Amino acid sequence: MDFALTDDQQLLSDTARSLFTNEYPLSVVRAHADDPSAADPLWKHLTEWVALGDGPLVDLCLFLEEAGAVLAPGPFFATAALYRPVVAALGREPAATGTVAVAGESGEWVASADRVRRFVVEADAVEEVVVVVPGGAIITGPLPARPVETLDSTRRLFELDVPMGEHAALPLDPDALTGCLERATVALSAELVGTARRILDMTVEYAKERVQFDRPIGSFQAVQHKLADMALDVERATAAVYYAAMAFDAGDADRHRAAHVAKAAAGRAARRAAKDGIQIHGGIGYTWEHDLHLFMRRAYASEFLMGSSDWHHERLAGLLFD
Amino acid sequence: MKLAWSAEDEAFRAELAAFLDQHAPPEAVEYGRHLADESSDGGAPPELLPDWARVWQATLFDHGWMVPGYPPELGGRNATPTQTLIYLSELAARDVPRSLHFPGYAIVGPSLLEFGNEEQRGLAPAAIRGDAVWCIGMSEPNAGSDLAGLQTRAVQDGDTFVVNGQKVWTSYAMIADRCMCYVRTDPDAPKHKGISVLMIEMDTPGIEVRPLRHITGAAEFAEVFFTDVAVPAAHLLGDVNDGWRITTGSLAHERGGLWVPGVARCRHTVDELVGVAKARGLDADPGIRREIAALYEEAASLWALGHKGFAAGAGGAEHSYMKLAYSELLKHQFEVGMTLHGPDGAVTSGEPGDPVWWRRFFASFAGTIAGGTSEIQRNIIAQRVLGLPRGA
Ligand SMILES: Cc1cc2nc3c(=O)[nH]c(=O)nc-3n(C[C@H](O)[C@H](O)[C@H](O)COP(=O)(O)OP(=O)(O)OC[C@H]3O[C@@H](n4cnc5c(N)ncnc54)[C@H](O)[C@@H]3O)c2cc1C
Repeated sequence: MDFALTDDQQLLSDTARSLFTNEYPLSVVRAHADDPSAADPLWKHLTEWVALGDGPLVDLCLFLEEAGAVLAPGPFFATAALYRPVVAALGREPAATGTVAVAGESGEWVASADRVRRFVVEADAVEEVVVVVPGGAIITGPLPARPVETLDSTRRLFELDVPMGEHAALPLDPDALTGCLERATVALSAELVGTARRILDMTVEYAKERVQFDRPIGSFQAVQHKLADMALDVERATAAVYYAAMAFDAGDADRHRAAHVAKAAAGRAARRAAKDGIQIHGGIGYTWEHDLHLFMRRAYASEFLMGSSDWHHERLAGLLFD
Repeated sequence: MKLAWSAEDEAFRAELAAFLDQHAPPEAVEYGRHLADESSDGGAPPELLPDWARVWQATLFDHGWMVPGYPPELGGRNATPTQTLIYLSELAARDVPRSLHFPGYAIVGPSLLEFGNEEQRGLAPAAIRGDAVWCIGMSEPNAGSDLAGLQTRAVQDGDTFVVNGQKVWTSYAMIADRCMCYVRTDPDAPKHKGISVLMIEMDTPGIEVRPLRHITGAAEFAEVFFTDVAVPAAHLLGDVNDGWRITTGSLAHERGGLWVPGVARCRHTVDELVGVAKARGLDADPGIRREIAALYEEAASLWALGHKGFAAGAGGAEHSYMKLAYSELLKHQFEVGMTLHGPDGAVTSGEPGDPVWWRRFFASFAGTIAGGTSEIQRNIIAQRVLGLPRGA
C-alpha cells in the first residue's frame, strides 16, 4: 500500500488546487445560491476534466478533493463521477453533461423501479439523464425536474417523474452498477474530505488570530483538543478515501468494504469539523455573512447524499456479519 | 498511489514469511494472541522473560530479522523503510512479538547509537539482541507528563556520580540488568537544562526495586529507589545537562513503527467482536451491527492513515495521531467487548481460551497513559502539527 503521489498525480492535484482557488471564489458560490446561472461561466474551466471520470479513481479523487475545498457548484460531480462510468458500463458514448437517477421513493441509493426519483444531482443542468432500474438503465434527454430545497445551495438536487413505459432499458449487470455507485461514493467522499479539511484550516487559522483574555483562543486547551480531534478525523478520512480509490483501481476484493469505510469516515469527519468549527468561531460563525455556514451546509448535505454514515455502517455490517 | 508493493518488496516479504514459518516458536504465537490480556491465566504474574523469548529474540537478531533496517552487526539486513513496514505488518498479522521487553531494542539501542561514545555504542548489539535487559527510568512520583520536573539527583564526585531519588512505574525493573536513568545534575538550571542520562547497573548497591501490580492484578511494573548509588562517570550518556535532547530523541525512535502492531490489534479485535456478537445471538441487532461496523471503519481508516503518513515521511509529532487514535480505539473496542456480554460483562471467570474482555479493557489503559497520555498527544498535535500557540 503505497500512498506516495506520482509526479503526474502531484501535478494533477496542484493544477486542480490552483484552478479551483483561482476560478471558484466564494462570491460566485454565493451568487449561485440566488441565481444558478451565475456559475455557468465557470463550467468552461471544467469541461476538459470530466474525462477524469473514466480513468483511475485516485485521480478523480485528487481533483474532487480540491473542488470540495471551494464548494464548486455545477454539474462536474454528476457528470464525471456518476454519469460517465454508468454510460461506459452501458457501452454508450457520453454526452457533454449528464446525471444518474438512482434513489426512488425511499431515498436509498439502490436500484428501484419507482416512477419518482429523488435526489437527482443537477438534473436541470445536464443533457442526459440515466435512470437506473433493476437489471438495467434508461438513457433519456432532460426530464421535467422539481427542485428539492436542501441545506446546501451549492449542490442542487431534483425530483423527477420518469415516464417508465416510454423508454427501453439497456441491460446493466447489477455488479457493474454496484461498482459504479461505489466508485461514485468514494469520489463524493473525496470531495467531502476537501470540504472538511477547508473547515479545519479556516478554524485553525481563526484560533491563531482571535484574541480573548489577552491571548489567542487557540492557546486554550479546550480549543486545542477539539482541533486535534478534528484534524485526526480529517486525516483518517483522507487516508480511507485514497485507500478505497486504490482498491478500486487495483480491483482489490476489499474495495466494497473500503467504499463504505470511506464515506462513513468522510461523513463523520465533516460533521465534526463543521460542528466544532462553528463553535470555535463563536458569534461570527453564527452569521450569514461569514462563509463558514456555507461549508457546514455542504458538509451535512453531502453526509446525507448517497447514504449517511449510519447507512454505510449498516451496509458494512452486512459485509462483516453475513 | 498503488496498492501492491514492488516485486522486490514482495520477495522480501516471502523471505520473511519463510523464516517465520520455520523459526517462530509456538509460544510466541500463543503469547502474541494473549498480549492484550497481559497474561493468559489471569492468576499470578506470568514469568516475565521465559527462555523461549530470549532464544527467539537472539534468533531474530542472528538472522538479521530483529531490526531489519539496521546492518547485520546490529541484527538487521539494511532493509528499506518500506521493507521495515512490511516486516512489522507481517509480524502483526501473525501476532508474533519480536521481544517481550521493548526498551532495549526500541529505545536504548537507538539512543546509544545516536548519543553514545564509541565504547557505549558497543553496548547496543546486546541491548538489541536482548542479551542485556534494560528498563527506562523516566517517571517519578512528581514527574509524569511533566517529565522535565524530575528530581532524582546525581552529584558528580570525581569519576563517579552519586544518585539519590526515586523512579516509579518502571516496567521490567524486576528483570533488568541496566536502567537508562534520567537524573538531575544541575538543580539551579531551568528544568529542561539540568538533566543528564546515566546507564546504571541494576545490581549496584543502594538500588531497591519494589514491584507494583498492574490494575489487572496480573503483570507488574515497579518503584525503584536509589540511595547513594555510585555510578561510574563513564556511564554518562551524552554530555552533562544535555539529557533532554536524548529524551525526545529516544522516544521518537521507535514510535514510528509502534502503530503497526497497535492498529493490527484493533483490526483483529473487530473480527473477534463480530464473533462474540454472533456467539451471543446479537448479530441481528441493528444497533450492535452499526456499532461494530463503526469500529471497523475506524480501524481500517487508521491502517490506511499509518501507511499514508509513512509514505509522507511523517515526523515524530504526526505519530501522535496514530498513538492517540489506536490506543483510544482499542480501549473503546474492549469496552464494547465487555458490553456485548450483557450481565456477564463483569464476570471474571472465563472459559479457558476465551478472550477475557474486562482484562483487556483494563490493560488497554496502559496504551492511553504510558508513553505520553492521550491528552499530551492532543497537545502535541495542536501545538506541533497544527501550529497553535502554547497554553499559558
Ligand atoms: C503500564 C505502564 C508502564 C509504564 N512504564 C514506564 C517505564 O517503563 N518507565 C517510565 O519512566 N515510565 C513508565 N510509565 C509511566 C508513564 O510514562 C506515565 O504514567 C505517564 O507519562 C503519565 O504520567 P503520570 O502517571 O504522572 O500522570 P500525570 O502526568 O500526573 O497525568 C495525570 C492526568 O493529567 C493529565 N495531564 C497532565 N499534564 C497535562 C497537560 N499538560 N495537558 C492536559 N492534561 C494533562 C494527563 O493526561 C492525565 O490524564 C508507565 C506507565 C504505565 C501505565
